[in-house]
Amino acid sequence: MAENLLRPQPYLAENPLERTLRESFDTNRRILDPPFPLSIPTPEEYLCLTRAILYSILTEGRTRGIRLKYLHAIVVDGYASFTALTASVVDELFERLLDDAKEQIVWIAGEMVEVGAQGFGDLLVSLLRQVVGGDYGDGNMWLCFEEASLFLRKWSALLEEDGEGRSALCCGFYCFLRLLGDHCRTRWSGDERLSALRQLEIDFCTKMLKEQFSLCMNVGRDLIRMLQDLVHVPEFHEIWKDLVLNPGAFGCPLFSDISQIYRIRTPSRYFLLRLTPEMERQMRFLLTNLKLGGQKRHQAWFWNKFLGTNPERETLVIDLIRFVCCAHHPTKEVLHSDIIPRWAVIGWLLKCCRKNYVEANAKLALFYDWLFFDERVDKVMNIEPALLLMVCSLPQYVAITDSLLEFLLLLVDNYDVDRMALITRGVLTSFDVLTRSGVVPSSDALTSAEGISPPLKERLGALLLRKEDHSAEAHAID
Amino acid sequence: MIPLSDVTPSALNNVTTQFILLHMARANKEPGLGAATCLALVADETAAVHFQFWGSECDSFRPGDIIRLTNGIFSYSGNRNALVLRAGKRGRIEKVGEFTMNYVETPNISEIKWVPEGASGRYVPESVVSPYSRIFPPLR
Repeated sequence: MAENLLRPQPYLAENPLERTLRESFDTNRRILDPPFPLSIPTPEEYLCLTRAILYSILTEGRTRGIRLKYLHAIVVDGYASFTALTASVVDELFERLLDDAKEQIVWIAGEMVEVGAQGFGDLLVSLLRQVVGGDYGDGNMWLCFEEASLFLRKWSALLEEDGEGRSALCCGFYCFLRLLGDHCRTRWSGDERLSALRQLEIDFCTKMLKEQFSLCMNVGRDLIRMLQDLVHVPEFHEIWKDLVLNPGAFGCPLFSDISQIYRIRTPSRYFLLRLTPEMERQMRFLLTNLKLGGQKRHQAWFWNKFLGTNPERETLVIDLIRFVCCAHHPTKEVLHSDIIPRWAVIGWLLKCCRKNYVEANAKLALFYDWLFFDERVDKVMNIEPALLLMVCSLPQYVAITDSLLEFLLLLVDNYDVDRMALITRGVLTSFDVLTRSGVVPSSDALTSAEGISPPLKERLGALLLRKEDHSAEAHAID
Repeated sequence: MIPLSDVTPSALNNVTTQFILLHMARANKEPGLGAATCLALVADETAAVHFQFWGSECDSFRPGDIIRLTNGIFSYSGNRNALVLRAGKRGRIEKVGEFTMNYVETPNISEIKWVPEGASGRYVPESVVSPYSRIFPPLR
């Protein structure tokens, strides 16, 4: 009888992946122990053996050394099927795995990095996505700690792998930098476990910034968004000072000013990293299948499962907003249907925020691409939800329009006073592109709207008037 | 597997279908039944119906769960007015997923007055008592 892989749960249908793994194990069980057969397995047999080996490692951890040797002996595909299979187990089943199986998965990830297995990067990314923001439970803290140690321990091996390794380092850097924003602020911050974890995350992120700055730049402008949240942490304070005043300190010849990072649009794959695959699946379903007005129960379920379980979880709203703006772009059919639009989902997410700093960060997440918008690199779909949320809230929820517009104008004046011209230009370009592409007919929708406070309208009007000056300045900047 | 809109009252355990759990009432112990029961609103893309969980089923599901019912029964339970779908002694329910399913809340086949049709004894709808569940009104 095979050992269990998953925590038993009554009334739950059998999972097909678990079943295939178990059946492969049952079929091959007798040949998993030495002496190993000398015959060369057919491709079909090879896949079946791979599944059996994985199941055996996950359910009988004590045999893992010998099982891995067997895998080394038979491998013909650079471990691609083994790592892909392990990644699917992580994506589909991680939450339900028994604790011992989770430990074995982390061990496998380390071993696969060590042998430079094909697909180890995807496996590391799958594991990163299982770390849940705002979850201070034992299991999640453990996983986060294990992964941060793995990235530090396998540092050189990861750097040596030009493609997958370096890309995984960037992903790890994005995750831990974002998680640090929460881990440095939570009411759990006195907790000993969390202090140890935080130190590991700080060690990894500062190592990346000090030794591999050009890799960090791959993350793009969201690097600055997340780093700013950490300026109060002593280890990042110095780095921040160098970033602003002494760019040469990073030993990166291509980097001479922070505005260069502002101009790099963060690739959308990074935004997936802070959502578990289940969150992503449900969010995408919400945005492609539910009609506006008929989404209330689904929203409540999403909230209960992912956000409402404890007050710390609301920090996920920031990541969800980045995801909705930058990583979920609806098709034309959906855009022209009665499916719930992205701006409405974002309005709901903003309403979920109780803490002021989370709400401010959520609004920053919503407007971030506005600040640096450049038609040559940016996408109009990334900035569309913010404008539609402002305009569509006017009839019934003008307070939302007011608070968003005020926030945007505050950003223009204060986000980076030394680079105000760049930001003003970004915001003006955003308005311009959004009206030109027909998202709204003109900015008049806001400047002449009743209900918006007159001083705000004046400030917006004044900003829009600066357009002329800026077209001239823009040429100068270029 | 049949859509909920094709389910009709019958004394047979032959309903195999799939639906999403929308709302659960608190479990209660009916005198004489022995185990706790729990009334719920479930639906698919064609119709909604009242579902009765029984015994340990009551604590094993939560709203948003997608449930497959095999060999269930749609009949009058307890007092004559309560037309519910349930697994019954010979059927079973299993959670097969969650969240990713559309649904409608009307018609609700528990809120239809069914009458036997001539000699066949098959039940056919006579009139709509209420388009929506009167026990679990829609969210506004």
